[in-house]
Amino acid sequence: MERSFTKEVAALRLGEGERFHGEGILAMTKALLQSGVSYVGGYQGAPVSHMMDVLGDASDILDELGVHYEVCPSEAAAAAMLGASINYPLRGAVVWKSVVGTNVASDALSNLASAGVKGGALILVGEDYGEGASIIQERSHATALKSSIWLLDPRPDHERFVTLIEQGFELSEASNTPVMMEFRIRACHVHGSFVCKDNRQPRFSRNRTLSEPARDYDRICLPPSTYLQEKQKIELRLPAAIDFIRRHGLNEVFPGDASDVGIILQGGLYNSVIRALAQLGLGDHFGNAKLPQLVLNVTHPLVPDEIVGFCRDKKAVLIVEEGQPDYIEQAINALLRKAGVGTVLFGKDVLPMAGEYTAEVLLQGLSKFVAEAAPAGIDPAPVLAEVERMERTKRAASEALGGPVPKRPPGFCVGCPERPIFSAMKIAERETGKVHISSDIGCHTFSTLPPFNLGNTVLGYGLSLASSAAVAPVFDKRVVSVMGDGGFWHNGISTGVAGAQYNKTDSVLVIVDNGFTSATGQQYIPSTTGKKNGRFADISITGVLRSLGVRWLRRVRSYKVGEMTKAFREALTTKQGGLKVILAEGECQLVRQRRIRPAIQRRLKAGRRTVRSKFGVDEALCTGDHSCVRLSGCPSLTIKPSRDPLREDPVATVDTNCVACGLCGDVAQAASLCPSFYRIDTIHHPNPWDRLLFGVRRGVIGMLQSMAGHETSWKRAA
Amino acid sequence: MKPSSARAPGAEPLTILIGALGGEGGGVLTDWLVATAMARGYPVQSTSIPGVAQRTGATTYYLEIYPVRRSDLDGRQPILGLYPSPGGVDLAVMSELVEAGRAMENGFVTPDRTLLIASAHRVYSIAEKSAMGDGRFDSERILRAAEKLARHTVLFDMDAAARDSGSVISSVIMGAIAGSAVLPFEQENFEAAIRDKGVAVEANLRGFHAGLELAGLRLARQSSSANLDRETTAGDTPAGDAPDAGVEGLPPQLRQRIETDFPAEVHGMVAEGARRLVDYQDARYAGLYLDRLARLPAAESFQGDPGDGHKLTRETARHLALWMSYEDAIRVADLKTRRERTEQVRADAGAKPNQPVRIVEYLDPGLDEITAVMPPFVARMLLGIGKRFPSLGRYRHPMKVRTDTVSGFLKLWLMARLRPFRRRTYRYGVEQVQIERWLDTLAQAAMRDHGLGLEVALCARLIKGYGDTYERGWGNFRRILDTLVLPALNGGGAGSLAAGQVAQAVRRAREAALADPEGTALDQVLADGDGGQAPQQDQSMRNANV
Repeated sequence: MERSFTKEVAALRLGEGERFHGEGILAMTKALLQSGVSYVGGYQGAPVSHMMDVLGDASDILDELGVHYEVCPSEAAAAAMLGASINYPLRGAVVWKSVVGTNVASDALSNLASAGVKGGALILVGEDYGEGASIIQERSHATALKSSIWLLDPRPDHERFVTLIEQGFELSEASNTPVMMEFRIRACHVHGSFVCKDNRQPRFSRNRTLSEPARDYDRICLPPSTYLQEKQKIELRLPAAIDFIRRHGLNEVFPGDASDVGIILQGGLYNSVIRALAQLGLGDHFGNAKLPQLVLNVTHPLVPDEIVGFCRDKKAVLIVEEGQPDYIEQAINALLRKAGVGTVLFGKDVLPMAGEYTAEVLLQGLSKFVAEAAPAGIDPAPVLAEVERMERTKRAASEALGGPVPKRPPGFCVGCPERPIFSAMKIAERETGKVHISSDIGCHTFSTLPPFNLGNTVLGYGLSLASSAAVAPVFDKRVVSVMGDGGFWHNGISTGVAGAQYNKTDSVLVIVDNGFTSATGQQYIPSTTGKKNGRFADISITGVLRSLGVRWLRRVRSYKVGEMTKAFREALTTKQGGLKVILAEGECQLVRQRRIRPAIQRRLKAGRRTVRSKFGVDEALCTGDHSCVRLSGCPSLTIKPSRDPLREDPVATVDTNCVACGLCGDVAQAASLCPSFYRIDTIHHPNPWDRLLFGVRRGVIGMLQSMAGHETSWKRAA
Repeated sequence: MKPSSARAPGAEPLTILIGALGGEGGGVLTDWLVATAMARGYPVQSTSIPGVAQRTGATTYYLEIYPVRRSDLDGRQPILGLYPSPGGVDLAVMSELVEAGRAMENGFVTPDRTLLIASAHRVYSIAEKSAMGDGRFDSERILRAAEKLARHTVLFDMDAAARDSGSVISSVIMGAIAGSAVLPFEQENFEAAIRDKGVAVEANLRGFHAGLELAGLRLARQSSSANLDRETTAGDTPAGDAPDAGVEGLPPQLRQRIETDFPAEVHGMVAEGARRLVDYQDARYAGLYLDRLARLPAAESFQGDPGDGHKLTRETARHLALWMSYEDAIRVADLKTRRERTEQVRADAGAKPNQPVRIVEYLDPGLDEITAVMPPFVARMLLGIGKRFPSLGRYRHPMKVRTDTVSGFLKLWLMARLRPFRRRTYRYGVEQVQIERWLDTLAQAAMRDHGLGLEVALCARLIKGYGDTYERGWGNFRRILDTLVLPALNGGGAGSLAAGQVAQAVRRAREAALADPEGTALDQVLADGDGGQAPQQDQSMRNANV
């Protein structure tokens, strides 16, 4: 895995009264143990990968408590795990990246929510919405609404996170409903502290097992139980939840002097709103603001009397709700109308309908609200002046820079085994012409960005092959789908390969086999080789493909660009029908480097013979066209100013981060680019034979060089 | 220091924005700062957006420190922000120059409060690297903006400082933060944080001290003069217009000819060209170069001296020398077998004297490269066969040659010894004919209109590279000359246009030819007949200007 969590794991052992310091996502992990969970599962993905990683490293603690930890093959599997809480008083939690993970999980979630739960069931979702997000932009809120799952959106404060996780389990049990808790990306990574409690032994666990299965037909999702369950959601569970939220004060009201107006906000946006108010001169840095706020730590269900009570004596209220549709604003509008309250609601009219609510967005929205709602005793002039000052700042910056600075999109790492696959595709395209490429989720999606610009669609994790099902038949040539090994195990086997085989699809599938789910932090998958933690299954992808009846199958080391190009050409042109699979093999370079770097250092320190390699470009031969960069994009293949006074264009160069994967040299050959590339192996602690051989060679070569040198100087003199 | 208008009462949180590239240790740096603040008893909060950007993209970290100790807050908890706001950043720390530009672009660097600490080195973005010519963003623009927008700046090459101190850039930055004394901590507090983290402590402390010292120096200098210290930011100076070696290193007769036949402003460039050709072939070849160039000064001032320092002669001198020293297998072998080259390669890899190395050359000669060094009649025959049988025409011979072994070295060394026979090779003849044609067109154009002549001269820039790259560049060059220039000179087609307009069109077409390898932009420009408007290029790119 990308990070080791030994230190963090120690924090999970903290006891009553001790202070925890660390990332939000780790605080939540600790909160789960304090709540007496029996089982935890999930699927990795930013921003919640660390929770999976730290639990993976914490097997000692989990074993002591008897907590079962499952590395689920997908979010659907994780959600299904919560089925344990339907019949038994087991507290369980699952975690994934949302909204994509929630979508994958939704079949199980609907059934779970319909059946209802006896033990507390908590779904922790890392909300990847806004700048820097790597996925489609949607709200998880919709899932909560349509499945009657309660949705918590805690104020970004470690104490609040921890308390709400504990209360979330209680809420779930009090209302027999699964509870979802969303964390925005910045909240997951926020560093803070809280005072701990002791970890709690679960009532039932691996250490205290159940012996009698419980059965209740009312909990089975088949008619007529399903009709009953649908009624129970509204008649029993919802009132119970509302009662619990109200009684335990899950939502918070903070008063303010300008009581003729107010703000209702999602808990997760609290800090940003408080900061914006402070910057506008409407509050301090301790949460004392002129405008009263109702902070919704629970965004579904809303508590009608809380809302109505907050709004009743106010002329205007601003709803701060990130993303669209504006479910909360609509719901509050309806609540107020039914209660006959005439408070004017502001929301998506002064704040943007879509997109992340950054500091800048909130400053603008709040200033508009203040200007339009005109709260008593607040002069809007300085508020507007502050926003104007901010806008002036940005204008001045853009003038001073005289144009936008270059973007820096993510790309493949130095020496990444996935890069050569796309170099080979580019080279093969020269002969086969452009082909339609269905891309997938994973590091390999970077192929859709410069310099490769390869890939026509992305439809979801493990879905590339399925998404080419209707494209393939309407093309006069074959189409290509690219899928990672992560996607293959997550979904691609059944929806992709089995489907294509059954439907006799004639197309090409490239499986990127690098041994890990690399994009999420190199977690293990069923095909990861080797054995650590006893968790490695080492299931062969080739074996699976063969068993599914794939006949045309090529395993290629991805770095062999020539062979990879040949495989593409063959796959695209062979007369053989059916699915053709190219398994592009090459271990994730991040993992590899983490393994071999310390080993090399140890060898060097021990004085043992070590060969270190790097690639280079002959500056005098490089003409500065940069085709090599366009076919590679390796971060260590870069440019530098030419030292040749005749040449103006910068020349290519390989920097010291090079790991000698050899791609740039192979591409220069395979694409017939130029003779500038070379590899140099430096031998550290050479043995006598190395020295002797090198000495003799250098002697002879030096002699030849001197002869040639004389010739040159003779010519010069002539 | 901070504006009093519309601000919250009480102390303001210290806001710190850190921008780094994936893998540079921005997370470690953030952890150190958090630990420093915590150890001193200040409320602190940090957050980050690694997201997908963890892989080589830009990543940001954001910290807030409340400058009143917990013990003095009577249990009150400050609410700290998770987002930097434009105009609300006290310390912007950027590990690379364009990232500093990005922070300014987003409004995070303001004269009333922001101290900008940034490394002056460049890590080029993919768009800059993959441009077909020079796509680099002009660093000067960022330096000038920093001067204007920041309250103070601490700018130096932190990458070099990290290398020199055998450390990493995150620790140098930590040192720079400590050295700029913007946070309420002492040097030893920072050092303690590095020690407590327990990762590569010695190396990190070395980097820290390097950063500390350099930052202190920069700030001290700034307080005495308002000017930005730029001495370490010069890494990117492009190749100079006038090489400064003068006419040194040339045989006397060539030197004399340069001095008598050419205006003083271009002596440097012409001498550089002549030196290149002596090195490439022999003094006689350099003499041919001077013969060819000799008509330029007259053609240039045919309609009076344009007063631009004889740019036309200078640029022609540059491109003629490059063209005449076209890279054939003899040249490649020659350059790869020189002693200076071996030493350069060893130095780049950090090999110590006498340390054994192996060097592997990646070569891929094809039919074109092989016939290029053959006698014309043989070459024509082979190329004819290649045309008739395309599979033979595509013949290539990929080879990895070990130039550290005697046998491998000899292969290239012997190839290089073919130099005296170069004049009798097929490609030599072809190139000389094309060069003459270009020069004729150029001189003719220059006499019609000085600007047009210059554009024709600059078009030679398109001819570069090997194999397909060379073919593409050559094709574009011919298309521009055939479509725009020749008709204008012969009075037909675009000839109805004024020469100035044709020059404009040629410039646009030349820029378009460097916009994309597929030639889409060039097709569009040429289809517009008079050149029309060149497709809008990214304004951030420094284009093919001279």
